Amino acid sequence: MERHVHSAAVQSSFGRLEHQPGNTMADLPKDKIKYGLLKFIDLSGFKVFDPPIRLIFGEDPQKQIRDIAKFMLLPILFVGMCIWMWHIIGPNHKTKSGAVPGPWTVWNAYGESARFDEREQEKMEDFALEGAERIERISLVKKQLDEFESEAKKLQKISQETEEKGNEEQEKRLAPFKAQMESLTAKIKTAKAERKAAQVALAEKVTLGEAKPEEMIALFAKHSEANTADSEAKALIKAEMDEIRSDPPQEVQKAKLAANKVADEVQHFKKRLDILENSNKEVSKEKILTTIAEKKTELAAATDPKEIAKLSKSIAIAESNLAKADEKKLAPSATIFWQTKRSLATVFVGFMLAALIAIPVGIMCGLNKIVMACLTPIISIFRPVSPVVWLLIFQIIVGAFFLPDPAKHPLFVTLNNEYWFGWIKNPFAFLGTNPAMVFSACTVAMCALWPALVNTALGVSAIDKDHMNVARVLKLGFWQRLFKIVIPSSLPLVFAGLRISLGVGWMVLIAAEALSSSDGLGKFVWDEYQNGSSRSFANIILACFIVGIIGFFLDRIMIVLQKLVSFDDGSATA
Amino acid sequence: MSYLEMNQVDVSFGPVSNRTDVLSNINLSVKENEFVAVIGFSGAGKSTLMSLLAGLQQPTAGEVKMDGKLIKEPGPDLGLMFQNYSLLPWLTVNENIQLAVKKVFPKLSKSERNDKIAHYVEMVKLGHAGDKLPHELSGGMRQRASLARTLSLDPKVLLLDEPLSALDALTRSELQDQILNIWETDKRTVVMITNDVDEAVLMADRIVPLTMGPKATLAEEFVVNMERPRDRRTLNDHPEFMRLKTEITLFMMGLNKESKAAAAEVVPMPDIRPKDFSLPSANIRLKNKVSQPTSAA
Repeated sequence: MERHVHSAAVQSSFGRLEHQPGNTMADLPKDKIKYGLLKFIDLSGFKVFDPPIRLIFGEDPQKQIRDIAKFMLLPILFVGMCIWMWHIIGPNHKTKSGAVPGPWTVWNAYGESARFDEREQEKMEDFALEGAERIERISLVKKQLDEFESEAKKLQKISQETEEKGNEEQEKRLAPFKAQMESLTAKIKTAKAERKAAQVALAEKVTLGEAKPEEMIALFAKHSEANTADSEAKALIKAEMDEIRSDPPQEVQKAKLAANKVADEVQHFKKRLDILENSNKEVSKEKILTTIAEKKTELAAATDPKEIAKLSKSIAIAESNLAKADEKKLAPSATIFWQTKRSLATVFVGFMLAALIAIPVGIMCGLNKIVMACLTPIISIFRPVSPVVWLLIFQIIVGAFFLPDPAKHPLFVTLNNEYWFGWIKNPFAFLGTNPAMVFSACTVAMCALWPALVNTALGVSAIDKDHMNVARVLKLGFWQRLFKIVIPSSLPLVFAGLRISLGVGWMVLIAAEALSSSDGLGKFVWDEYQNGSSRSFANIILACFIVGIIGFFLDRIMIVLQKLVSFDDGSATA
Repeated sequence: MSYLEMNQVDVSFGPVSNRTDVLSNINLSVKENEFVAVIGFSGAGKSTLMSLLAGLQQPTAGEVKMDGKLIKEPGPDLGLMFQNYSLLPWLTVNENIQLAVKKVFPKLSKSERNDKIAHYVEMVKLGHAGDKLPHELSGGMRQRASLARTLSLDPKVLLLDEPLSALDALTRSELQDQILNIWETDKRTVVMITNDVDEAVLMADRIVPLTMGPKATLAEEFVVNMERPRDRRTLNDHPEFMRLKTEITLFMMGLNKESKAAAAEVVPMPDIRPKDFSLPSANIRLKNKVSQPTSAA
């Protein structure tokens, strides 16, 4: 790749020489930027942006425009077409949980998720505000609340009006069916009465011996058939009416949605006001302080020993609460962004665990055939095992370490402590580490282990024999041989393995989270599936995209790392 | 007084029941500061011979000695320059040499070490490319870097395993001069393996032909009685050069014929000739082409 860039550099500077003799020196810094940029996009694997950059720097514009059309515009067009097909086909497919959401619905779901996250942040901020800032914030929130409330009223009214109008329209559409239904019901009623009469008449005839009992049975069979046909006809009309009812006019839906949105906002601001005025950190501290003061005056005046004991006890409790109040934070709700962060943390831990085990073991396997022979059966048997099985096994085995009370286990106490040693801010506190997360991370590690291990072993055992001979001639010791020859020469393959591992880990993680209810994208998807609200289907598809995009970027990062450690043109050959 | 010697060395591979003898009854003796070239066809076992001298491989029978001591393992004293450069591709030229210098002179300070590296890099005229990675260099530059690394070991014996066979003719002659220059200013014992008669006559004091394998052995040597320094430009007019060149070439060609004859004895090829080559479509051009091998056989 590099060579290619170099030769291109030579060509283009030659070309320039012909066009503007004597001006080449001035072009040099520009060229430097250009080739720097080109090298960067090549390294990061976004070769698609090669033509536009060349175009910006004015290199062979016709060719670049052709390349852009071929390798950028056409793909964009194709993806656009796919989205368009999704937009057309999706909403037409009715499922148990409603129509399949189209792209626009999913995009809105993203907006709502983002707003939800914002709200959580605002609430947490409000909770921690103190002094003048809090007072200021209260007035601000009140003002906004007023605005939203008036708007909500307006929208509510509009929504009601449109709904009424919509209802009228619906009634109009329903009217013919209703009339049909009435006539049909009347017809069925008379038909039923007639049948009943016929049955009674025939029964009498049978008792008189004028008709055979078989005739009676045949009549009943005929009548029951007729009954079924009647109710089927009724059901058909009912289904049509139901469809009209379940599909209110677009305007009504839109008005309702708009009204709901603002109503949500009103709800949120009310909650914020409540937090700011009643449950804010400062406020709750003040409340505790006043109780303590009250109790203290009572204690001073108290004479009954029982009363004194009771008061002292409650004062002690209140004081300890006061100390805790300082550390209190509003517990965050599980927003999709928080879930994403947690998933990333889990996959990172799992991946690191896998790398820490796989690389040394892989090196040992590659260096020593006996070790390889010993480990081959273990690798072959455990590699195909499903992540689900691993998760269950880890829940039992690793879970045992956290007994009896996981919340009090030193690992979780440390990881969830807001401050370490009282003053270092713990950057992992927001994750809320719990056993389920550990199990998920272990599962990720277990499944991500194999590709890295196998590739490392391969990389080490495929070292050029000449390089080993160099080591022999130089009489390098074991460690020098390891760090100067073995590891550097196998790094490209090791990173190729790690890249596969990370991909596997990310895929496994989502399943593990769904199964173990460890907070993360997997759990988010599972919860949405279980909860089945109108938005959840769109949220599931949204999560699908988030998982995909993050997976894509993780892979890119690994490609860049792999390219950085490769000593040749990106290939693993020496 | 021989400095480097091989006494009745045999090398064979494979299990006892199915042995392949590569080298058999090799006797070689190299004096101190002598330049000996071993010449042979590819596949004759030249590289195996070199591995023996470098201590990378042990003989099946016989002994290989340097300065009277058996060679049991490779080491910096036996400076082997590999056929395909064997530079570590993840290290720059300087770093490759540094690896060797650090090992052989571990007590040098950093600046002394850098001086030493610079000295060897300059010696092969690579001063401008010290910070380049091997894959950024041309074949000749790589081989020069490899030579610098070998020289930086300050070896007692320099073992050159077809050092120039992967290079183009121009680079090759340039490097030949460089190696000769270095050797003449800083004499040491050299064993060079080559398949180029001109190269051997130009560079060596003695030329030892290696016969064809299997069971290759060293044939009668040719002594090059030509004054040094030898001038490449006048070489073709030098009667001694022409004589040696012709003699060695004839000898080598004779070896080739002999081995072919020997091979023919071992596996008699059945005398089979195709009856008819005509294709259904009777394409004349194709017919002519196909019938050629028949006449050649």
